[in-house]
Amino acid sequence: MAEIVIDGKSYSFEGKPKLLDFILSKDKEVPFFCYHPSMSAPANCRMCMVKVGQYVKNRDTGEYELDEHGERQIRWFPKLQTSCNMDMMDDMIVHTHETDNLVKRAHKDTLEMILINHPLDCPICDQAGECPLQIQTYKYGPEGSRFEVKKQHKPKHVQLGPRVTLDAERCINCTRCTRFTDEISQSHQLTITRRGDKNHPTTAPGTVFDDPYSMNTIDLCPVGALTSTDFRFKARVWEMNQTPGLDITNGKGVNVDLWTRDNLVLRITPRHNPHVNDYWMTDKGRDAIQLYNENRLSTPSLRLHPKDKDLVMTSWDNTLQTIQEIVESTDSKQILSLGSPYASVEENAAWAHFSQTILKQKPSYTAHVEKGAGDGFLLVDDQAPNTAGCDLLGLKKRTKAALKKAVSESQVIFSLHDDYIERGWITKEDLKGKTWIYFGTNLTQIANAATLTVPITCAAEHTASYINVDQRIQRTYPAKETKYTNRRLDLEMSEGRLDRFGTKFDHWVNEDNKIDCKPLWEIVSDLFSLWGQTITYRHGRDVLESLNQTITALDGITYQAMDDHRGVLLSTSEPQEAST
Amino acid sequence: MAKKGSKNTATNPPTSYSFTKEQLKEIEALKAKYPEVQAVTLPVLWIAQDSFGHVNPDVQALVAKTLDLPESHVHGVAEFYTQYFKEPKGKHVLDVCTCLSCGLSGGVDIVRHLEKKLGINVGETTADGQFTLQEAECLGACGYAPMMQITNDVYVNHLTPEKVDKVLDQLISGSTPDFESIAMPLVDSTHTTKRGGSNE
Ligand code: SF4
Ligand code: FES
Ligand code: FES
Repeated sequence: MAEIVIDGKSYSFEGKPKLLDFILSKDKEVPFFCYHPSMSAPANCRMCMVKVGQYVKNRDTGEYELDEHGERQIRWFPKLQTSCNMDMMDDMIVHTHETDNLVKRAHKDTLEMILINHPLDCPICDQAGECPLQIQTYKYGPEGSRFEVKKQHKPKHVQLGPRVTLDAERCINCTRCTRFTDEISQSHQLTITRRGDKNHPTTAPGTVFDDPYSMNTIDLCPVGALTSTDFRFKARVWEMNQTPGLDITNGKGVNVDLWTRDNLVLRITPRHNPHVNDYWMTDKGRDAIQLYNENRLSTPSLRLHPKDKDLVMTSWDNTLQTIQEIVESTDSKQILSLGSPYASVEENAAWAHFSQTILKQKPSYTAHVEKGAGDGFLLVDDQAPNTAGCDLLGLKKRTKAALKKAVSESQVIFSLHDDYIERGWITKEDLKGKTWIYFGTNLTQIANAATLTVPITCAAEHTASYINVDQRIQRTYPAKETKYTNRRLDLEMSEGRLDRFGTKFDHWVNEDNKIDCKPLWEIVSDLFSLWGQTITYRHGRDVLESLNQTITALDGITYQAMDDHRGVLLSTSEPQEAST
Repeated sequence: MAKKGSKNTATNPPTSYSFTKEQLKEIEALKAKYPEVQAVTLPVLWIAQDSFGHVNPDVQALVAKTLDLPESHVHGVAEFYTQYFKEPKGKHVLDVCTCLSCGLSGGVDIVRHLEKKLGINVGETTADGQFTLQEAECLGACGYAPMMQITNDVYVNHLTPEKVDKVLDQLISGSTPDFESIAMPLVDSTHTTKRGGSNE
């Protein structure tokens, strides 16, 4: 096995890792900008300098040459080397800035050079607070600049595409963005134009940067040059809480972070998961903020008379009692119970439990697949986040025609999430004369046409798991409060950062935007108690624990396991009981 | 990986620019010479500039389409090199060096002289389309400063206002300034012996 000595400590390694990668994996630091673990390394920012040498061996004897003190002789490379594109070799000696003043000096000078034309507008820059250039300058940069001449000016607020805005003056020309469109999304839409102190990224004349993955360049950009057209100037990084979550806009299960302030999700960024999405996500997945913030169902609402145009708000107690009355006055054959691939495993399971016990039927569901929507990368045909979860729970899948038929044959319909009207599967007319009870998060068309709407928590408000198209089960965390939760009491919720006394705090300024909704499992527990049964699902975990016993594929699957392994690949996709 | 989004190869280059059959043959021959088609971008841009006088965005799009390369790639290459004209220029393009050595020995004065003489500002083209005046960075002829290059071709060295006037007349009359061979001062031989004499 090969050996390398870094800052006086020796490490063994195999293969030909890149030096920077290796150093970082040892929990040490070397500052860098242009390097990205998932892309090629052009070594153009010159920030990752280290001093590299090799022990000298006698060619004939193979023995190490020793100097007059009996120490091994070192042949240093004539200049400092960029570690990001340096292949590691046996017998290498590396000095980082921790042990070498020359390297320290190199970092300082490189930063002084990079900053010559940088506008230094951190106070109004979106990137401030999460900016590698800002952090690196703070840690390794010079105190000031020796350049007293006027800065070079470049184009500002250039609309590169519908979702990405460029400030060319901030750009340090690391080419991460152009390499992204060349190597990852392969749309080849970006290039660097001009040269010297005038260069910056751009599209070909007359074309727009409309790559379905374009917004990844915003996350990639090590400075504030590429910013989100939508999120620009909306919030400072340190005002938001960052909570892990999942992209629920399709079945891929892309791992994301939800950034919240005052109970609004302000932006969504990808979270690294090598098994699912690496460092990337779709632009479409970021639109989920609208689902979380806007047009939410809040407070249960009831249509008092079928002819009434509007629904009126009602209490939770009344809602539950109304449901009980409806169920008890209807022949169970006249009831249709629907689950949803848009709802989590726990929600579907809790609903299925109630449905089977009280409504005497296992819920069925409809998949939402758009053929051709997938691209073999992060866009997939399956539009819902949990189709595999419905299958695993053994919910019967209905086709469009079967759904329409089932609806027409039933008097009372319980449905979850799906907006069948918007999808064009049924029409408003089909709801005429029916009692439709809708559990959902948003004011969809079906909610508008329903008899009773019951607001439930969305993926940004609860802990629940979703199974993606590749049978990986992953979970969400609550990122925003509902009317009934409190981020200071609910220890699962992230609260910004620790202050210097170790107390969690955040910069939320009001308690608005809390939705009056409850997790479906909680509603189900309340319903059970109306029927005199004590089944208590207080947390998604309670539902999952009961599934651990009943579904073999979920045996031993816990939130902890999902957290530890970035989701767990389920061993079987077989539905447990196919009969309905 | 994904292959989504418009690849941005030119979808409809204007009909006003197209390569002739001979040029296309030449391009095919060039392609065979290189392992990757990207490498042919430079020579094909030259072919285009020689034939259209410039490589404006439409011409860049034509090159991209001909080579089946992303339009952005061709654009980046064309923009990188000042020798490619990204817009129509005068018949003669005067690149006067104003970089350090030339600047110190009067390059800027030459630019001012030409501005007056041609009645245009630097960066502009005369109304009759004869001359475009540009400032250039170091062209590697510092030893003969101040100097200028004419339409990506011949260098004219040791410029004086009089010499510049003569060159303009030559260009207008249709001839090219002659190539001037300038001998580099040789290194003093005694000096060489001294430095090489370390093992004596
Ligand atoms: S815009 Fe950002 S990612 Fe692109 S080259 Fe400039 S600094 Fe790098
Ligand atoms: S990270 Fe190595 S040169 Fe940029
Ligand atoms: S400075 Fe003019 S040629 Fe070098």
